[in-house]
Amino acid sequence: MGRNIRIKVARAELDMTQKALAEAVGISRQTMNAIEQGEYNPTIRLCRAICRVLGKTLDELFGEENSNEQ
Amino acid sequence: MNNKLDEMQEQKLLQVEHVGVWLAFWGLLLVILVQLVWGSGLLELAGEWCVFMVLSIYLVVGCMKNGIWDRKIPANRKANLWTSLIAAILVGIVTAAVFLVRFHDPERRIFVVVIGVLAAMALTFAATFALLSLFLRIFRRRVVKLENTDPAEPEQE
Repeated sequence: MGRNIRIKVARAELDMTQKALAEAVGISRQTMNAIEQGEYNPTIRLCRAICRVLGKTLDELFGEENSNEQ
Repeated sequence: MNNKLDEMQEQKLLQVEHVGVWLAFWGLLLVILVQLVWGSGLLELAGEWCVFMVLSIYLVVGCMKNGIWDRKIPANRKANLWTSLIAAILVGIVTAAVFLVRFHDPERRIFVVVIGVLAAMALTFAATFALLSLFLRIFRRRVVKLENTDPAEPEQE
């Protein structure tokens, strides 16, 4: 599983820190970091929560196309 | 009480608990075997044995309820035969150790020990195979039931 740069970019667009996003979706910063690093595969429920906060669709953040996965 | 963990922490905790359960399982088994060979009476083993059996029964019931047999061992008669054979060999080794270490008697003829070990092995093989066959039957019924839980659900291709 590769790093998810798209979450980081979307977060930067909203000028949001990793901690702020983590708090907004109700998880720890450690978990948010693991998701961005591609070390943890979140459940669909958490993916949707992240999308909702960042104002993106599931495809935009977690879709296969244009993925930055290595 | 609210869960203080998020989903990744929950998974990590489950992994830690998973390792803990197997450490307890094999640790208890080892303690029971060592005590059996080196001197403790059966009554002194009762506590460890009870905990070990509760743990084992919990694991078996939990797996059966969820239609799970094993990660690697297939659910069939042949695998059960092999498992029973391995169990019989292990019990044979432990029985021989008990005879030789705990009840060592130079006067006793070797064939008495051999007969004792073989009897223990035969009994273990038969009991393990019977029990595994029963579990296999229950498991297969359970899988069929779980697969047909919601007949309205369209089948996945």
